[in-house]
Amino acid sequence: MKDLKEITTRLEIAKKNIKKTEDNNKGSNAAAFGKALKISTELVAAVFVGTIIGFLLDSWFDTKPLLIICFFFMGVAAGILNVFKSAKRMHEKL
Amino acid sequence: MTTNPMHQFEVYRIGPEINLGDINLSFTNASLFMAISAISVLSLLFFGTKKKSLIPTRMQLITEMSYTFVAKMINDTTGSSAKSYFPFIFSLFMFILFCNMIGMLPYSFTVTSHIIVTFVLAAIVFIGVTIIGFVKHGIKYLELFVPKGVPVALLPLIIIIEIISYLSRPVSLSVRLFANMMAGHTMLKVFGGFVISLGLLGGWLPLGFSVALTGLEILVAFLQAYVFAILTCIYLNDALNLHH
Repeated sequence: MKDLKEITTRLEIAKKNIKKTEDNNKGSNAAAFGKALKISTELVAAVFVGTIIGFLLDSWFDTKPLLIICFFFMGVAAGILNVFKSAKRMHEKL
Repeated sequence: MTTNPMHQFEVYRIGPEINLGDINLSFTNASLFMAISAISVLSLLFFGTKKKSLIPTRMQLITEMSYTFVAKMINDTTGSSAKSYFPFIFSLFMFILFCNMIGMLPYSFTVTSHIIVTFVLAAIVFIGVTIIGFVKHGIKYLELFVPKGVPVALLPLIIIIEIISYLSRPVSLSVRLFANMMAGHTMLKVFGGFVISLGLLGGWLPLGFSVALTGLEILVAFLQAYVFAILTCIYLNDALNLHH
């Protein structure tokens, strides 16, 4: 009977240790790496999409260089907005 | 020795040429590896759940772990309202994961290193999420583009920026997966080429790099599948629970 009690306490201690290491691993390198890749592409993709929209509208309305310039900068703004949003989401999770 | 590092991404026809009107529908190596990935996922799940025992076998354990992993991911990011989308996200995650991992085997082909494949996957997610948003909230879904507390004078500009940000989702989703897979595999090939060209004397350093990069690539292969799935969950969450 005594042995069983001892085993239970030892098990509990071991389980606690497992949980501790799991908690420590949460902000591990792999997750940070994933976040970095995620944010960088978000920044670039919005600029790309903005420029494409500007280019299409330009060839539609025949206003060659004007709209592509405007939408390029709006794409930059959208990219920063994307990064801001995902950074905020990360902050909420912590 | 001139080995082109981009040669591995070449799509070629296997078997007879099939033409449907102007569309070339021939079976290629890309379709072969997509089929292999799909079949591996199906067989893993089929054989893993065939004999359900209380003490699980390795196959059953892998199956159960992948199930709980995705279920937990959906629960953490979207809450219980997204339970009904579990099959879609699970199949998406498993398919991308297996495509990436099978691409890591020598002599295989990485389907996800082609932008058209990843873009179609991202477009399915994007269009699906948009439809879900409109079905769920009707015209009110457009409020997503109007953040709260913005002065009226700035609204036209902000709305355009928000729309660009929304439209950039499928692009960032697809480019991320495609660029990571292609860059990684090209890098592996370049370092492999160095081993050959530097020969027995200098080839050991790039060989070591190749080994290290293989480990990194396996990590990236898993991570990108995970990121793709988790972003699908986040976009789904935006569509289901409309608030900022």
